[in-house]
Amino acid sequence: MIESILGFSIARRQLVLTLVLAFGLYGAWNFQVLPIDAVPDITNIQVQVNTEAPGYSPLEVEQRITFPVETGLAGMPNLESTRSLSRYGLSQVTVVFDEGTDIYFARNLIDQRIAGLKGQLPPGFEPTMGPISTGLGEIFMYNVYAMNGATQDDGSPYDITALREIQDWIIRPQLILVDGVTEVNSSGGYKKQYHVTPDPTELMRYGLTFEKVVTALRNNNENRGAGYIESNGQQLLVRSPGQLQNITDIENVVIAKVENTPIRVRDVAEVAIGKELRTGAATRYGKEAVIGSAFMLMGENSRTVARDVATKLEEINTSLPPGIIAEAVYDRSDLVDKTITTVSTNLLEGALLVILILFLLLGNVRAAILTALVIPFSMLGTITGMVTTGVSANLMSLGALDFGLIVDGAVIIVENCVRRLSEAQRQTGTIPTRNERLTIVFDATNEVIRPSLFGISIITFVYLPIFALTGIEGKMFHPMAISVILALSTAMILSITLVPASLAVVMTGKISETENFLMRVIKRVYRPVLLLALKLRWLVSASVLGFVFFCIWLVTTLGSEFIPQLDEGDITLQALRIPGTGIDQAVRMQGTLENVITPLPEVLNVFSRIGTAEVATDPMPPAIADTFIQLKPRNQWPDPDKTKAEFIEELEELVSGVPGNNYEFTQPIQMRFNEMISGVRADLGVKVFGDDLNLLLIAATSIREVIENIDGASDVNMEQVGGLPVLTVTPNRDALARYGMNTSELQELVATAMGGEDAGIIYEGDRRFDLVVRLPESFRTDISRLERLPVWIGAQDEGAEFVPLLELADISTDVTPNQINRENGKRRVVVTSNIRGRDLTSFVEEAAQRIQAQVNLPPGYYIEFGGTFENLVSATQRLSIVVPVTLVIIFGILLMAFSNFRDALIIFTGVPLALTGGVLALWYRGMPLSISAGVGFIALSGVAVLNGLVMLSFIKSLFEKDGDLQRAIVEGAMTRLRPVLMTALVASLGFIPMALNIGTGAEVQRPIATVVIGGIISSTILTLIVLPALYHIAHFRKT
Amino acid sequence: MIKTTRKKPYRYLFLMLSLIVYLFSLISSATAEEEDEESFPIGEHGGRLLIEDDVVVELLLYERGIAPVFRAWVMRQGVAVTPGEWQINVELMRLGDEEESISFIAEDDFLTSSAAIEPPHSFDVEVNARIQGVSYEWEFESHQGRIEIDSEMAKQVGIRVSQVTNGIIHQTIPLYGKITPDPQQISYVTARYPGLIKSIIPAIGDEVRAGELLLTIEANDSLRTYEILSPIDGVVIERPGNTGEVAGEQSLLTIANYQIVWANLNVFLTDSQWIKPGQVVSISMGGLSTVGSIAYLNPGKGLSAQIQAIIILDNSDMQWIPGMLVEAEVTVQEFEVPLVITNLALQDIGGEQIVFIQVGELYETRKVELGRTDGNLTEVLGGLRQGERYVVENSYLLKADLQKSLAADDD
Repeated sequence: MIESILGFSIARRQLVLTLVLAFGLYGAWNFQVLPIDAVPDITNIQVQVNTEAPGYSPLEVEQRITFPVETGLAGMPNLESTRSLSRYGLSQVTVVFDEGTDIYFARNLIDQRIAGLKGQLPPGFEPTMGPISTGLGEIFMYNVYAMNGATQDDGSPYDITALREIQDWIIRPQLILVDGVTEVNSSGGYKKQYHVTPDPTELMRYGLTFEKVVTALRNNNENRGAGYIESNGQQLLVRSPGQLQNITDIENVVIAKVENTPIRVRDVAEVAIGKELRTGAATRYGKEAVIGSAFMLMGENSRTVARDVATKLEEINTSLPPGIIAEAVYDRSDLVDKTITTVSTNLLEGALLVILILFLLLGNVRAAILTALVIPFSMLGTITGMVTTGVSANLMSLGALDFGLIVDGAVIIVENCVRRLSEAQRQTGTIPTRNERLTIVFDATNEVIRPSLFGISIITFVYLPIFALTGIEGKMFHPMAISVILALSTAMILSITLVPASLAVVMTGKISETENFLMRVIKRVYRPVLLLALKLRWLVSASVLGFVFFCIWLVTTLGSEFIPQLDEGDITLQALRIPGTGIDQAVRMQGTLENVITPLPEVLNVFSRIGTAEVATDPMPPAIADTFIQLKPRNQWPDPDKTKAEFIEELEELVSGVPGNNYEFTQPIQMRFNEMISGVRADLGVKVFGDDLNLLLIAATSIREVIENIDGASDVNMEQVGGLPVLTVTPNRDALARYGMNTSELQELVATAMGGEDAGIIYEGDRRFDLVVRLPESFRTDISRLERLPVWIGAQDEGAEFVPLLELADISTDVTPNQINRENGKRRVVVTSNIRGRDLTSFVEEAAQRIQAQVNLPPGYYIEFGGTFENLVSATQRLSIVVPVTLVIIFGILLMAFSNFRDALIIFTGVPLALTGGVLALWYRGMPLSISAGVGFIALSGVAVLNGLVMLSFIKSLFEKDGDLQRAIVEGAMTRLRPVLMTALVASLGFIPMALNIGTGAEVQRPIATVVIGGIISSTILTLIVLPALYHIAHFRKT
Repeated sequence: MIKTTRKKPYRYLFLMLSLIVYLFSLISSATAEEEDEESFPIGEHGGRLLIEDDVVVELLLYERGIAPVFRAWVMRQGVAVTPGEWQINVELMRLGDEEESISFIAEDDFLTSSAAIEPPHSFDVEVNARIQGVSYEWEFESHQGRIEIDSEMAKQVGIRVSQVTNGIIHQTIPLYGKITPDPQQISYVTARYPGLIKSIIPAIGDEVRAGELLLTIEANDSLRTYEILSPIDGVVIERPGNTGEVAGEQSLLTIANYQIVWANLNVFLTDSQWIKPGQVVSISMGGLSTVGSIAYLNPGKGLSAQIQAIIILDNSDMQWIPGMLVEAEVTVQEFEVPLVITNLALQDIGGEQIVFIQVGELYETRKVELGRTDGNLTEVLGGLRQGERYVVENSYLLKADLQKSLAADDD
């Protein structure tokens, strides 16, 4: 079949070339729609269901909202798990679906369920779904601020509430229309509200209550339409406007008539623009700020969307009130651009190096260019494949592409053709005719097509074990495997179509194949070395074996990490404070922190988000702040040689002097992923499920003690659930009975007084603002005044209409759960531990046994083990099956190629020999083992096999033809020296830019490149020297 | 032929497989290293081990069931040294305090400190021991609840300190009530004998003096005209009668004297035990205010569970109008106490009330025993001394710093 394809390609070469060109154009078109991102998206398929419950404490939120929502969502198709958290004022249920579930299908299901749920929730509570976005979704952030001296219409300077109003009502509605944006979130400032704050004494004076104020406002704030009338043939619509327009309107609302005097709102209350009870804030450079962030719709192209948002923001800026500026503070396209620059520079430089090597070794410009042509076409083919399979272009997917590997097959074919053509010319002394040329090209290609196809397919095959990785590792590395496999298969197809066809077209005229100087020197050195190696074959084999063992030992000295982290350039510093820290306190503490960070010469920009933003995409309590620190380009640093790690160390030292904060350093995307995936991030997590929080805590505490005492346990931690101080107003039922009151009346009053009650909406054009009635701040913040809050108990005896709150309720401060976490419908507390210096499985087994023996769980309580150990164990297990299976498959292919067990095995020995070089290279550069390095080893195995194949197939055919082992080996090795060197050189040089680059994103590629370069050097040397020796040993008796 | 060659390639295959599997198992056990916390060796009794040469001293602060004491054991070359063969002396240096010297006496197989070790148990420790004729010296720090904050930083974050001094606790209770007329100063003028009202002199709002002529009435029986004079000084506030009407038993004029009014304050059950006649009350309404004292308590008519505290107010300038709602602060008790702190300074840590004392750049928690409070100042019964500097403002930051290890991102 291969022969017929070859024949067709050569015979109908113009047609084939046209088809390849068309295929290339299709790829170029696909390039336009290829999603480009910095890293692969590792978020699972999840939908957040948020329900805001203003004023509800965690326990009530859980009981009244989270539980019904969770139960209502149970049992959906493709549901993987649910988890929830109940926090002050917010219930969030995260529903995780099986991989591959269509997000819109999932959201539809949830929507249906939510609709059915509404009856079970307290009235007025609406569960809403979070934005259709992923961990990569938060692509753009901006800060709205006023320039010095800018004033509002009434002449006062802009305050934070006014800025928030601009964000909410001018900027957000425009940005959300940008294509690909699914949500624009606001944090910081206060949502503008109209506040009516009645003075309790004044109310008492007129015998009024909060309720009356609220009712009066509600009854005086409506426009009514009243149909139409006809008057002299003309239709007149009838309307009766009654909406409150401004503060004066509100002040003039009549609450009641007392002794014939109308009592207006202004008589008993103050009306002003007030501050909402916010759950989040934002700061920049140490001052309160308004920060907006745009979320990208799932599956969009982050670079394009971020750019569009930036352009739109520019446009919006021109229409903002004078002196107001919305400045971009985070733009994902920066990172994507930088990463893509790194990757494309690497690819481009790699390609150039490959062409250079081809030219140097082939000594034929046309042949070199022809070979290099495979690079762009296979790249375009890869892009087409990526678009089809939905893989985005990113650091990982493009990171392992090596043009050297891609052209390997073509190199072998072109080399052989050039050699054969020039040989033919030398023999006949004339330029061959067209037919002769075509025959030579066909023969030459056919001669090497099998080993080169086998070689490429083997390289392709070795990438298959990567698909055995699951979870986050899988999501990180599958794109890499997909794109490499795509590139290699395209190259494979091209090497039987484009390559022979263009060879047939281009290789006309005189073929100058000059054994150039370089090759001659190499050959002169190689021959004696080879002869020596054959002579000392046993010594060579033994010492190589020793070397392999040395490298195995060396591996144990290398450090290890799971996945190298992409350096995003920016830093996120999470400032963690004790639970119960108030939002204003947190803002002050954050201000101090930012004031310390801002003056650093390396820092370009500092801003933070505290607590939860408007849309609870990341429900943090006020005690947690995400500080974004953007750094200046390194050349602007006072010491440009300082590494980022060193800077972070200095920063950590500096901020540890700011009292009251605990810190975690991450990066924006990394943090977002952590928040969204949010599983147990330690090696082992013991989850205790049950009903009673106290019992759960007791159980978790004893589990923690047990684990702490197990060898190898470190960083043992228990989830903090307690610690939220609460002011409890417990109705005193006896006292209420005395006054003939219901508890709900009292609770209503407390809720209205403290939390405020919505009394309607004030419209200003499109903008709408809540009208809220609540106690003046001086009362709300002073517990002793609250105790004296007069409660209306209805007219009885004169002077007894009001009693102080203290009379009717017990007021005390308590500590309650800060947050209640549930998983799959049950409350849970997690104890986490990392494991050091011990293998995971035995640790987990021991932990399970000891917990079983020593911890007494109440009936109905149960334990689950989780944590990254599961992934690690399953990944190791899968790999330890899949890797050998792959090796067996490769071996099978080799057997097919040689139909000889021994030869296949000899080629196989190239693999450990190649790995030694990789290990040495890692050790030399002081790099740890990682999955990236592992991928490098995988690629290496393929290259090693390819080399051996090329070498051995030739020796074998010579040996079979001739029967003289020594001569066959020497001749074969000498002839194959050039292609082996070429494939090796192009493969390793193609990776050199990747290994040396220090740009953004390079840290992920570096291990792969390092391993491959080191491995190829060792594998080439060993293929050239050890392989012939082994072949000699294996076949010596035959002669 | 094949048999002989098979062995070796198998070995390679096995080698390679094991290498690859090994590589992955190494990768999978990858974890980050983390530094250890400050730690010291712990002995068999649970105390801190002090080691020099072949001598090991174990020093334990024993606080189980008894007042806390130090206990010390000595081992030489792993063998316990009997208490007779060694002496030990411990110097404790607490923050902002003088050195305390602790002497030890023998008990069972150990030495114990002769006196109880008072809290706070946060100190620099200097141990001097003489064991079998050789002198040893150790020093270590054993700090609890201690934080160091750069003074510049403390200023920046607004940590302000004050001294523990004597002060006055001024306990008050707020009450609400109404201004009412003094019932003794209201006079309802009626006709002594029923008859026709011949004339009625004052109009509403007129001031009248005691003895001034108010009405002339012609009695029905005698048809003689008689006069009614004003019983009190006051103002006419009601005038239901008119000339020509027949006066029966109804009131014809109401004369009220508002020179003196009552503030009638409602006292509810929760407060009633504290309110006593004679207590000083400051009364206010809007911008008006005055000070009086509780004249008497009126238990009321039994319709509601509250009593009325009555304050008699001089109203010669007529600023208190009956019917006004007033707020009042009753000074319930006043004490002069030797040690007070402001309530701002108090923080709750683990259910205990603490304050932070400051010495230079060091801050340390002091568990305080509190006495009476007035919502502003609180009496200190124990845990602090006169003149110690304690953190008044932003003590929350110190609490947050102390407990920051508890702060974690738990989602």
